[in-house]
Amino acid sequence: MNVPPEELKVKIIQTLNLEEVTPEHIANDAPLFGAGGLELDSIDALELVVMLENSYGVVITDMEKGRPAFKSVNTLTAFVNANRPA
Amino acid sequence: MSARYPVITGLGLMTANGACVNAVWEAMRRGETGLKPLSLFQSPRYGQIPAGEIQQDLIGLGAPAQGSRSDQLGWLAAREAATAAQLDFSGGSERAGVVLGCSVGGSYNSEHFLTRLIKQGQMRPRPTRFHECASVVELIAREFGLHGPGFAVTTACSSSALAIAAAAELIMAGEADVMLAGGADSLSRMTWGGFHALLLVDAAGCRPFDLARAGTSLGEGAGVLVLESEDHARRRGASILARLTGWGASCDAHHTTAPHPEGAGAVAAMKSALRRAGLAPAAISYINAHGTGTRDNDLAEAKALQSVFENRVPPFSSTKQFFGHTLGASGAIEAVICVEALRRGEIPPNAGFHTPDPAIGLQPVTLFQAAELHHVMSNSFGFGGNNGVLIFSRAETRPLTRRPESALIAITGMGVIGPGELTSRDIQPPLPPGNVLVHSCGPLAESALLTSNQRRRLGRLVQMAVLAARKSHPPEPAQRTGVAIGTGLGCLEDAGAFLENLIGKDEREPMPSRFPNSVHNAAAAQTAIDQGARAMNSAPTMSEISFESALWLGVRQLAVDEADCMLVGAMDELNKYPLAIGRRWGLWNSQTRPGEGGMVASLRRANSEGPALAHLGTVRLGRIRQPFDAMHEAEWIAGAVDLDSLAVVVSGAGGWPALDDQYAAVVGALAARAGRPLEHHTYKQRCGEFHSASAFGFSVAVALALQRQCGVLLYTLSPRGARAVCTLRP
Repeated sequence: MNVPPEELKVKIIQTLNLEEVTPEHIANDAPLFGAGGLELDSIDALELVVMLENSYGVVITDMEKGRPAFKSVNTLTAFVNANRPA
Repeated sequence: MSARYPVITGLGLMTANGACVNAVWEAMRRGETGLKPLSLFQSPRYGQIPAGEIQQDLIGLGAPAQGSRSDQLGWLAAREAATAAQLDFSGGSERAGVVLGCSVGGSYNSEHFLTRLIKQGQMRPRPTRFHECASVVELIAREFGLHGPGFAVTTACSSSALAIAAAAELIMAGEADVMLAGGADSLSRMTWGGFHALLLVDAAGCRPFDLARAGTSLGEGAGVLVLESEDHARRRGASILARLTGWGASCDAHHTTAPHPEGAGAVAAMKSALRRAGLAPAAISYINAHGTGTRDNDLAEAKALQSVFENRVPPFSSTKQFFGHTLGASGAIEAVICVEALRRGEIPPNAGFHTPDPAIGLQPVTLFQAAELHHVMSNSFGFGGNNGVLIFSRAETRPLTRRPESALIAITGMGVIGPGELTSRDIQPPLPPGNVLVHSCGPLAESALLTSNQRRRLGRLVQMAVLAARKSHPPEPAQRTGVAIGTGLGCLEDAGAFLENLIGKDEREPMPSRFPNSVHNAAAAQTAIDQGARAMNSAPTMSEISFESALWLGVRQLAVDEADCMLVGAMDELNKYPLAIGRRWGLWNSQTRPGEGGMVASLRRANSEGPALAHLGTVRLGRIRQPFDAMHEAEWIAGAVDLDSLAVVVSGAGGWPALDDQYAAVVGALAARAGRPLEHHTYKQRCGEFHSASAFGFSVAVALALQRQCGVLLYTLSPRGARAVCTLRP
């Protein structure tokens, strides 16, 4: 069964302890990092790496390769669903 | 008389690739790496990844058993350096001191305590006795008889570069003739787990500046240099190996772990070091790069090199593949390598480099080679954007001099984080049964002023420092503002949570955001980011005189005009570990109550604009002689300050009972020398006992100077022998 984007939004908020942010605040295609979205930084990305491994068994060992997955909730959802162990 | 730049008369090294300077050099000549799979401790997840681990038995090499692994490494390097310099401090010397960079401290040993506590529920705190980064300084000062100034600098990976710079300033200021300067850090589960959590370790071993580089390799070790005033070296007939001619510090004020993408802070530090050395960039004939092997560091450093040296970047190499990134020790180890390179006329290669990276556009030296070297540069950049750059020149270089600086320093604002009274039951998470009355600052009401990112990321100690700095009325713009915020025990909450999780879950589910905020310089670095403060950024630690060490560094930066404002202070947070360990050792009682908090003050040169709360006189650091003699102590104080101008002494009495008699006796002896009574005030009844308490005491001293319109002496002793004085006047 595929992971829905809404589930990832909740995980992101919980993992990063984002005050004053609700899942409705996060547009599926808005940038997670940099201006115009959640404005997360590289350390947040690393927290998300740990979350992806614990929650979905998706392991990222090289941030260079993992970076494209963290563009938006959409890209992250696609990445998780493509890389989940069977 | 003008001050001459210091000379170097001795060197010592301890690395995974050789236990003395010669052995390391020959290993580099042969192209051997010191990286091997880790054996020092169990690492369930990352055990096979290479590390620069020293596999010799340190006690077998002569290190004292009474010390942490970092302490032992530092002691061994100090012994080699002092022996090479033919130094003899028998009888002890007030004119000799020690400043070392240290970021890991006794963590490796304290982790044994935590492992036993977490896995077996046993509370056996003995291994934590040498936890503090200052422990290595105390060990060396005690063993070598150094009674002059001493502290540790803990700015992560630039710690020992800034320590060597601080030692040079102490000599230039005439406060010491000889300084042992360098750094020491051991491997530890903390840094091992932390760097892996941040995905900053290359599983194949580090490959600095290579296209395929994927992170650093961690290592351990120590480097020590004997820095000496030239007059002193010549008087005793010591041979001069090289000169320290330039040192520069800066802060990126950009991000917790990532360097500024264009290396702006690195550029500023290199330019500052060149300016101090009076050299054009073209005069530099070799650079020992920071070159950790992480993608971001090497790219930013390359951009910085191109910015400073334009299209004539001198031969450079990172030597980290030979012994790993030794964190707080790396600046010192690489400084020793730079001096050896000058002496021998040889350049060590950048091991691990094979394929150029077009984005970097520079190629390091890849073969061990002879070269005529005159001036060489050593770069060190740390977490928090704390940068330190050193320049060494050949012994026969014409000596540089500098006019003696004297600047009257004004305190233009203070932010105090003060205590209320709580019991340890109010501290979260709750402690095991038993109750201690503590002086806690309580919930930080003002943290509402912080941004939501600061609130969710920054630990208690760092929040306290950022808020205190804001309350000290710092200037805008802050380009020439620097920060020196000391701490005794550092960010215990973040460090403890990170390690508990790491050990408890066998390295699964690491906490990457906790690790970078667990370093001692997190408070200084985050304060700089909050303020945009880009001048020197330092975080000294030295038990009860951590604040005075920061004060000395801040005053000096203003005196030599490297900053227009310095935010100077110290901060410690209450945490369940010192509470529980102190109770086990019977330290806490009705007089000695644990506390927390601190203070940050804005300091400026007195001729600058803005009203002053008070003015600073002398700041002097040192180490008491054993057995304690109040007359001798009073003589030392009278030699440092103008007794005639003083009416009030503010001391750290009322904390550790063993020190109360000493404080009282010294105040009595000072009054006898002055020929009139001196009022004796104390502050620990109000703020409790913690390493940074004298920062709170400083605010009391400033208030007294203002209120009474008289001279005030702040006098602080540590139970382990450190001492400091500073004077204030209206």
